[in-house]
Amino acid sequence: MRVGIEVGGTFTDLVAVDGESVRTAKVPSTPANPDEGAMHAIDAAGLDPGAIEELVHGSTVATNAVLERKGAVVCLFVTKGIRDVLLLQRHDKDAIYDLRYAKPEPVVRRRDVIEVDERIAADGTVIKRPDRAAVAGLVRGVLADGDYEAAALCFLHAYANPDHERLVAGVIRELAPSLPVTCSHDVTREFREYERASTTALAAYVQPVMAGYVSRFSAALAARGFAGRFSIMQSNGGRMPAEAMARNAISALFSGPAAGVVGAVRSVAGAGYRNLITLDMGGTSTDVALIADGRPELASMTRIDGLPVKTPVIDIVTVGAGGGSIAWTDDGGLLRTGPGSAGAVPGPACYRRGGERPTVTDAHLVRGTLRADGFLGGRMEVDRDAARRVYRPLARQLGLSLEEIADSVIRLAEVSIVRAIQQVSTERGLDPRDYVLVSFGGAGPLHAARVAEDLAIATVVVPPHAGVLSASGLLLSDHVHYRTRTRRLAVSEANMPDIRETVETLQAQARDYLAGLGIETGADFDRVLEMRYLGQAFEVPVSLAGPDLGTMPAAELVARFGEAHRRIFEFEKPHGDPVEVVSFRVGVKAPPPPMPALRRPPSAGATELRSTALTERGEALDAGLSTRANLGRVPAGGPLLVDDGSATVYVPPGWTAACDEHDNVILHRETGP
Amino acid sequence: MNVSPVDQAVITQALIAAADEMGIKLIRSAHSPVVREAQDCSAAILDHQGRVVSQADLIPIQLGSVTHTFRACLEHHPLETLEDGDFLINNDPYSGGQHLPDIFLFSPIFLDGTLIGVTATVVHHIDLGGGAPGLNPDAGDVHEEGITFPPSRWSIDRDWNGGPFERLVRANVRMPEATIGDLNAQFAANAVGGERLKGMCRKFGTQTVFAAMDEMLSYSERRIRAAIAAAPDGTWRGEAWLDDDGVGNDPVPIRASVTISGDSIAVDFAGTAAQVPTNLNNPFASTASSAVACIKAVLTDPDIPFNEGAERAITVMALYGSLVNPRPPAPVRARLLPSYRVVNAVMNALAGAVPDRVIAPGFDTTTVSCLSHRNDDGYNIYLEIFGGGYGAGPDNDGCDAVDSMLSNCSNIPIEAMESDYPFFRVEDYSLRCDSGGRGRQRGGMGFQRIYRILDSNVTFATYGDRFRIGAEGMFGGGPGATAETFVERGGQRIRLRSKQRFPLSRGDRLVVRTGGGGGYGPAGDRDAGMIERDRRDGFASHP
Repeated sequence: MRVGIEVGGTFTDLVAVDGESVRTAKVPSTPANPDEGAMHAIDAAGLDPGAIEELVHGSTVATNAVLERKGAVVCLFVTKGIRDVLLLQRHDKDAIYDLRYAKPEPVVRRRDVIEVDERIAADGTVIKRPDRAAVAGLVRGVLADGDYEAAALCFLHAYANPDHERLVAGVIRELAPSLPVTCSHDVTREFREYERASTTALAAYVQPVMAGYVSRFSAALAARGFAGRFSIMQSNGGRMPAEAMARNAISALFSGPAAGVVGAVRSVAGAGYRNLITLDMGGTSTDVALIADGRPELASMTRIDGLPVKTPVIDIVTVGAGGGSIAWTDDGGLLRTGPGSAGAVPGPACYRRGGERPTVTDAHLVRGTLRADGFLGGRMEVDRDAARRVYRPLARQLGLSLEEIADSVIRLAEVSIVRAIQQVSTERGLDPRDYVLVSFGGAGPLHAARVAEDLAIATVVVPPHAGVLSASGLLLSDHVHYRTRTRRLAVSEANMPDIRETVETLQAQARDYLAGLGIETGADFDRVLEMRYLGQAFEVPVSLAGPDLGTMPAAELVARFGEAHRRIFEFEKPHGDPVEVVSFRVGVKAPPPPMPALRRPPSAGATELRSTALTERGEALDAGLSTRANLGRVPAGGPLLVDDGSATVYVPPGWTAACDEHDNVILHRETGP
Repeated sequence: MNVSPVDQAVITQALIAAADEMGIKLIRSAHSPVVREAQDCSAAILDHQGRVVSQADLIPIQLGSVTHTFRACLEHHPLETLEDGDFLINNDPYSGGQHLPDIFLFSPIFLDGTLIGVTATVVHHIDLGGGAPGLNPDAGDVHEEGITFPPSRWSIDRDWNGGPFERLVRANVRMPEATIGDLNAQFAANAVGGERLKGMCRKFGTQTVFAAMDEMLSYSERRIRAAIAAAPDGTWRGEAWLDDDGVGNDPVPIRASVTISGDSIAVDFAGTAAQVPTNLNNPFASTASSAVACIKAVLTDPDIPFNEGAERAITVMALYGSLVNPRPPAPVRARLLPSYRVVNAVMNALAGAVPDRVIAPGFDTTTVSCLSHRNDDGYNIYLEIFGGGYGAGPDNDGCDAVDSMLSNCSNIPIEAMESDYPFFRVEDYSLRCDSGGRGRQRGGMGFQRIYRILDSNVTFATYGDRFRIGAEGMFGGGPGATAETFVERGGQRIRLRSKQRFPLSRGDRLVVRTGGGGGYGPAGDRDAGMIERDRRDGFASHP
């Protein structure tokens, strides 16, 4: 039996696969000890840990360690002269008119930063070699003074030459064999010292927390008979054996949203969809990502709590638009939705947990797209009168009816989502019309059709078990390992052998690393060259997944870069303008065994169609009511509400809904926008 | 024409997003580190009447000048004469610009033959000729500071891409590849904004977009006026001082009187010093932008979109021939220095009206560090903009080592610098402990940068301030540390002035130190836990 357990902020989800049978569970999370919630999920699903051959786990342990500042006490060794790299940051502000601006708080205190007398130049040549004896003395003093739980090293230009980091790390390991040591060149081999130091410090900071969590959870599982393989999800959408992850916790920072994307990609692949935009809408926020040809794009940098993290993460844009987002008017009289959220507590007014501010969920109850008697398949009670009550002041202020204001609030939430999708599509030169929208998470399917319409997307797919899609994403994920290297090489025929060799070396390193963990891989590599025109500072990723680099002439590589550059910047320089490769990123993957479709038996009963009144876009509509099980292959026309247990799918007028043979609900737009 | 609340919100967001996207793409495709790493650039979208409706949140002082530079263009080339494929350019400090390096580039956008708006970008260009590479602190007039592009109209097809205007630019600058590359990035960003604008007009209809743009201006104006109306009526005065005029040693006063009356504000700079012979003069556009930026920061919420509507409630007056409204051809390169004292004087006055909304004066100085190198291959010019410590607020310590209020430049990473400028190495980049003003809330710290010079034929050029007069504390807080610059050569320490050019030798160590912000409230009231943290982390040795 194979089991995926995804720990989220509110719920812990489980998907178990045994032969052709699939079981799911959803239990409340236990934020203080996430492994308890995971155990509860195992029990709720009635599983015997001894029968689990493979367990894939996703958790917010690393993320929460940063957000709650509960990571390790870290000492950071840096090149002499840059002790304040984490405090100086990039010298800019992200709020230009804020007189009381504060920078993001680093995870290492200034008193814990130690300078080492060493120096390497930009081209990797040694200017000052660290004196081994002096370093040993320095390290002894540091270890004697502080009660450190981890050490981090970030030396200038270590991406070009890591010798000094290795030397000092060796000394630390000798003197303190049990202290985990993280070197910047191992975390990311790219230039820009603040971003690299920040990533390294964060890596060291979450390391012991993750290691402790993994060993505690492993022990608890073992005590109940578990003897299978245990792996953990990474931010890049691939998994790693748990024991390796305990040494590389930074790569798990954004594993939750990544699992959702992988789940979406793999769930709809069976139906032949390979070009997708994913829309994962929960209580407080919405995550969107764009997937071309079945491969999620990776971003080379992201931020957590304002701090830069330079490790490959699935390129996800998050906006503060969720079911709990609050509607309000600003002092200029403009109606706004979010980014403030009522969260789980107090929650929307209709939950009757003390929420007094109008939210998106309340708006759905007011306009009728959520029904009080059908909330979460009728398992949760909500109060429509409370929802109407909290919208009255806004309606009065703006001179609109309750239904009109509710409708507007929902539209604005959808506008934020559309904006997020534009960031991953049009802003990168990609046309959303070439993609289908895959919608999941509790609130996603309610908004998907209208969001799609704004982007002129004609098809929306709601995969089965949309509520636990992240957990199935865990089981569907590959084992993945990436290697990056900064190496500036002009693109010329003379340099092509060097370019090929660099890629091949990285491929071999990545493959050997997984082999060392007992994971065999094939020849499926992701190769991305970060390229730019000579003189530019920002690179355009050029993916070489398909073609064989072995025979590619320099002119072809330049032409591919030119295309990529034009897509993003709307211009391309004349051929002959020098182009360079700045860094290389190579990933290797080992796919999981196939998984049976998350399909339910076809419904025997006849379609029972009732109807419900709702207001949308100023029109009073009489909408049909259905369930996923009752939807047939023949498209039913909107307006229609499809109740799916954990989510409601709204099919507006002008759209149809049908269920395909993979149990996906497929919405099609019949008419133009 | 009435726009529904939903369409209004959608178009507003789309216009702000489009300006942001222009800014991001400008930075990402630019060539010079001063744009691509330091991000000394801005982007904006103007409506079909040439009014600024949305801006990327980049450099406040540049944004304030978009309106003024475009109006000057319109005087020579009215809107109805513009054609698809035209561009307008202006860097003239005496035609709405600020200083020569900031080139404003405008692209009129047409849809089906109708002008639907104008996209605009401004970039600080690394070198535009003049008497010295990158920066000429000795300029006696604006002509010695570089080439002026008066407000003028050109055609991309005819004049750019190898055409006569491009060749004119190329012939007059020291690093033509960088300058042309950065201008191409401006053209590209303008084109991106244009595509977004066309998309909006196709989707919503041009008239709806126009009406929504009108409402955006009114909306910002309404919110600014609401914030002003909430402040008490009356007249308050404030003043601030520059160290000197760059030649003599006497402080130079800037005085502001701020009159709040109902929902509008008038600022008058009567009593300010006369213009000076050096580059410390503040073109009127800079004076007005600085005053408006200060009022916005003090009185309003940060989320009010900054556009032309925001300026309608504020009137600025300055005597012609004064430091804050100089006559041509006075040199103006260091205009941010008087601009910051404009901010200080206005904030000082507002402290009387709304004492709980102001912060203590910060280092509030742009320190330019420019190193140029010449060899057989031509010039290589490094330029970076330094801030310092922010002033402390009523309930927060001042931000440490950050760019000052009117600007928002990033630093250039040491690893990028040493790759692009092999003629120096950075030996130190650190906080200056004890440089923040003491107080219940501590002023932000300044920082130091130490360069080791690795080759001959290197020249340092700089301008700065607060070498003598540090940021004052507020309500009992202490002053921030002053700035200093010196060269270590053969065991000697050579002190430099705040505005100066200085030839360097191989092996020299150049030390640039910026100052701290003022403290807020008496130091005796500081929280014991904060004192202990400052001591242990080495931020301050005593409260």
